[in-house]
Amino acid sequence: MKVFVFDAQKCNGCYSCQIACKDEHCNNSWIPYALPQPTTGQYWMRVDEQEHGAIPKVRVEYTCVPCMHCDAAPCIKAAAAAGVADAVYKRADGIVIINPEAARGMRELVTACPYRAIYYNEELDLPQKCTGCAHLLDVGELPHCVDLCATGGLRFGEEEDFLAEIAQAETLMPECDTKPRVYYLNRPHLFIAGEVWDPYSNDIVEGALVTLTDAQGKKQIVSSDDFGDFWFNQLLAGSYELEIMAKGFVPVKRTIELAESLNLGDFPLQRKD
Amino acid sequence: MELTESNKKSGTSAEGCIETAAASKAENFADSTVVSVTACTVAESVTTTPADSSAIKTMGFCGPCSASEPAVIDVKDGRMLRTRPLSYTKNAPAGGLNPWTIRARGKEFKAAEKSELSPYALVAKQRVYSANRILYPMKRKDWSPGGDPTKINAQNRGKSGYERISWDEATEIIANEVMRIKDTYGINSVFVQSDGHHQVKSLHGPRGCEGALLDILGGYTLQARNPDSWEGWYWGAKHVWGQDPVGQGSCNNLFYDIAKHTDTLLHWGCDVCTTPWAWGGQFPSRYCFFLHDIGVKQIYICPDFNYGAAAHADKWIPVLPNTDSALQLAIAYVWLTEDLYDKEYIETHSTGFDWFVYHLTGGDDLTPKTPEWAESICGVPARTIKALARHWAKRNVSIAHGNGGSFIRSTYSHEPARLEVALLGMQALGKPGRNQVKMMEYQLFSLAEQMPAPRSEVIPNLFAVLLPYAADTRESLVPETLVPEALVGDYSNEQPLEWYGTTVAGMPVEDQFKKYSYPAKDFKRIHMLWIDSPKWTSSWNCGNLYIDAVRNPIIETIVVQHIWMEDDCLLADILLPVNTKFEEFDINCDIMSGNYNSLVIEKQAIKPLGESKSDWECAAEVAKKLGADVFKQFSNNNEPIESRAQRGFDASGIQDRLTWEEFNNKEVYVVPAAKDWQDDAAGFYNFYRWPNHYPLKTPSGLLEYYSQRLAESFPNDDERGPYPKWIEKGKTHPDERLSTPRSSKYPFLLVSNHPHFRMHSQLDDCAWLREIKMCKVKGPDGYAYEPVWINPIDAQELGVKSGDVVKLFNERGWTLGGVIVSNRIIRHAVLQDHGARIDPIEPGVSDRGGTNNLIAPKKIISQNCAGEVTSGYLVGVEKVDVFELAKLYPEAFSRPYDPETGPLHINHALREERN
Repeated sequence: MKVFVFDAQKCNGCYSCQIACKDEHCNNSWIPYALPQPTTGQYWMRVDEQEHGAIPKVRVEYTCVPCMHCDAAPCIKAAAAAGVADAVYKRADGIVIINPEAARGMRELVTACPYRAIYYNEELDLPQKCTGCAHLLDVGELPHCVDLCATGGLRFGEEEDFLAEIAQAETLMPECDTKPRVYYLNRPHLFIAGEVWDPYSNDIVEGALVTLTDAQGKKQIVSSDDFGDFWFNQLLAGSYELEIMAKGFVPVKRTIELAESLNLGDFPLQRKD
Repeated sequence: MELTESNKKSGTSAEGCIETAAASKAENFADSTVVSVTACTVAESVTTTPADSSAIKTMGFCGPCSASEPAVIDVKDGRMLRTRPLSYTKNAPAGGLNPWTIRARGKEFKAAEKSELSPYALVAKQRVYSANRILYPMKRKDWSPGGDPTKINAQNRGKSGYERISWDEATEIIANEVMRIKDTYGINSVFVQSDGHHQVKSLHGPRGCEGALLDILGGYTLQARNPDSWEGWYWGAKHVWGQDPVGQGSCNNLFYDIAKHTDTLLHWGCDVCTTPWAWGGQFPSRYCFFLHDIGVKQIYICPDFNYGAAAHADKWIPVLPNTDSALQLAIAYVWLTEDLYDKEYIETHSTGFDWFVYHLTGGDDLTPKTPEWAESICGVPARTIKALARHWAKRNVSIAHGNGGSFIRSTYSHEPARLEVALLGMQALGKPGRNQVKMMEYQLFSLAEQMPAPRSEVIPNLFAVLLPYAADTRESLVPETLVPEALVGDYSNEQPLEWYGTTVAGMPVEDQFKKYSYPAKDFKRIHMLWIDSPKWTSSWNCGNLYIDAVRNPIIETIVVQHIWMEDDCLLADILLPVNTKFEEFDINCDIMSGNYNSLVIEKQAIKPLGESKSDWECAAEVAKKLGADVFKQFSNNNEPIESRAQRGFDASGIQDRLTWEEFNNKEVYVVPAAKDWQDDAAGFYNFYRWPNHYPLKTPSGLLEYYSQRLAESFPNDDERGPYPKWIEKGKTHPDERLSTPRSSKYPFLLVSNHPHFRMHSQLDDCAWLREIKMCKVKGPDGYAYEPVWINPIDAQELGVKSGDVVKLFNERGWTLGGVIVSNRIIRHAVLQDHGARIDPIEPGVSDRGGTNNLIAPKKIISQNCAGEVTSGYLVGVEKVDVFELAKLYPEAFSRPYDPETGPLHINHALREERN
């Protein structure tokens, strides 16, 4: 059974996967798996881009979102519910295919997908999505998007070859319980960051202990680096308490409601004496 | 309409598509500024079965003998099907590739098994079948040959439409005009412009095909090719560390050295995820991921959180555009005052350091270069400057560059370049882990020392069959930066335009001390332009003045040959349609990909579209009109193209490794990695270790903190003086800073980097790039505007939000842009990439495309350095109402427009013709 594995820490946001999908599927028809993808506006392999933080603590997150090729695929259920069971099917290798012959007119497939991975081709009157480049898999080749990923951000292969990584990975929207076959490594989620310094000497403060406590009382402690910076990474949204302690300085406390990544800015510490 | 007949004749599907596009526009045009065009999606062009042939094509853009990114183009039914990476391993020579591995800190970085294509390579299909292609020879309708000022209608260049003419008529006109100019003024009154970076071709040009022809007639005046993306290194750094001809550091084997020894890599104005995409591919970004894995800290110092930073930065230090010199001086000041530099190295490896100390401590200007002083200029907090200086002094630090941007392309760019060398010297340049590395243009000029990746056994070349290259030099020339002045300025043999140095990119430093003039001795001024690969308006210093210049009747004839209707094509009198490389047979050497070098036969993948020909064939067609002898000489006795390719192979450096037949059969020879690459001294190591035996190419052989040669040659130059310094303002640029008076009218510094989603102005018409969120901003009128990044606080003060359209302006004109409010840009600066295709509103004044080079300063870097200033200059920013503008400029705002492609100037022309 095949899987896609996306590693956020190896993605440079080049969009080659999104463009490669168009290179392979626009103007090209891969019957029995797919009719052509429209030139623009649809992304069978979509790259989502999000800016985090505030100057100068900024990061950019890129996420590849193809069809999840779910084992409990809502689109397959929707097709069955519509009485056109052969409109969407799962291949033996796990790839989910919308049958372009049988699925014409089935707009409900678009709304059935919680991942927004199914697009409606008005010209062809057809719901369409990633085929895993099944026509290439059939001749022993990689999906075109994966073939064009130069950095190792997007990989594809047999599930058993990725077991160790899958154990570390997440899936998108697990609450939908669709058993996706696309796994995500090193997702950044949210961060809290800041900088501590001493306004008396106009120098950064290295080695300040910064403690972040979440709503469950779980603590993380980092030490400010030689630029005075501290970062807490891969946080989930929620309430946090932050405390900064540095020898010779008055401690600082903050309560944080974290909804998006946060650069707390710089903390000019007060000297104790 | 007239096109229909010819379309029937030639009948390729793409033509049909463009025909369809033009026709549909004609119907819809009157009602709407945005018309829907479905270019090339007709059902019969759909491919359903596997490829029936393939061709290898190099996809990079650097230039002849400097190809990169070999790809496989699959073809079906005469159309391009897809673009794939080339497998190195499957194409290994008989003895294997000797694949290299860099082992460091318990991890491995290996040569890739296939080429690492950038997204630019993947839009190849769109570029070939673009609705923006020029497919037939064209003539501007209100221009007549013959030089009669009343029949030239020069004032309408950029405005009037075109009519289709035959190849026969076009070449007849060109040949007659060339001979008329020659007889009237002399052949040097023909000016050959070939702007940098186009598809890389060897046998077909571009770059100089027309020059090769004109040389047979006696010569021409050359547009000299500047070191346009690394100006400061050329004009400044060479005077400190030699490093001819490039001016940047020795990169040899540095990826190994950095992996083994470097603690922190400073990406100073460097974007490893932008410029390398056009000059090599994804290899440098993959290397930066490896550096992350082995714990090398990567700090980005730049005004913008660029795309390399987005992927690789551990820390970003935002600095105001073109204030790096202040930051650098403050770092040196901390080292000096805290005793944090290598005094012994300075003693043995440098000369004139006391002059540098004199400036640091304020001996010359009474201003000690303290971190607090620098903070007020560069926007980096003094505490951060001190932290950076101390961090650096404790560690092995190398600096990475990727060309372009405000660091190296602004006013007085020789200063940050010289100061960087000064800093590297203070920390023992060449000591393991302490060098300057370039993330692109590997083996530039075929130099081994410009290769940071493990060395290949040979650097293949095709010098034997190269056309006279635009980076050549000659007696009669004009630097690219001085073209508008030369074209229409009040210059004569008695009172010529004068400057120093040919400015040609590959020239040794001695050239910078020689004075040149235009018109050159015994020659008259320019009256005809013959241009290939045009991009002056979108890529040089003050395109508006170039537009003004070519709308002067003193310029009697403008011939432009190009693939797409973009940039200076809009100003042409005669347009010749050029092929893409996919339509040509060629041979290329890939030396800039990083993994392996290779020599490639590029078979013709598809037939030429429309009536397009290669650049070389364009010149050959004109040669035929100039007489049998001229054609015979130009074409080397009508030598078949395969024979020229074979001559190239025979002298390529790999001719002893396999026969021509074997090579032609395999289509590619991948050069194995050298057996002993690990033993190569890295960067400046030899100089570090044995300065007397491995001297630099400076007069003293040492790092020259004070250049006696500059002091003697230019005693009155108070801008590029003998030692590097902070220059707030000077004679050449008295008022281009936030601290100088013009900033009250134009309060932002413009960051105009090499573009992320295109290659200069190429690829700006590719739908698959244009639809990416950060590539274009859809305005309220549906037009895709070129993005302008604005810091949230500045945006608030300006009263603009994402999606608004703003005008960027100064005394030199204005252009438009679509706002992206972002934390990725420092306050008091705005970012708009350079090179968006021009879409003139009032030619020479205003533009809708976001072509900010139109309003860049016209003045050169400094009084004796004729380089460009195209980033880090003052602009005003103001919200506009595009619907109001459309009322004011109805013609410009109702041009045929395809949301997927952008403005369609050529269809505009054809539409007028039909009316």
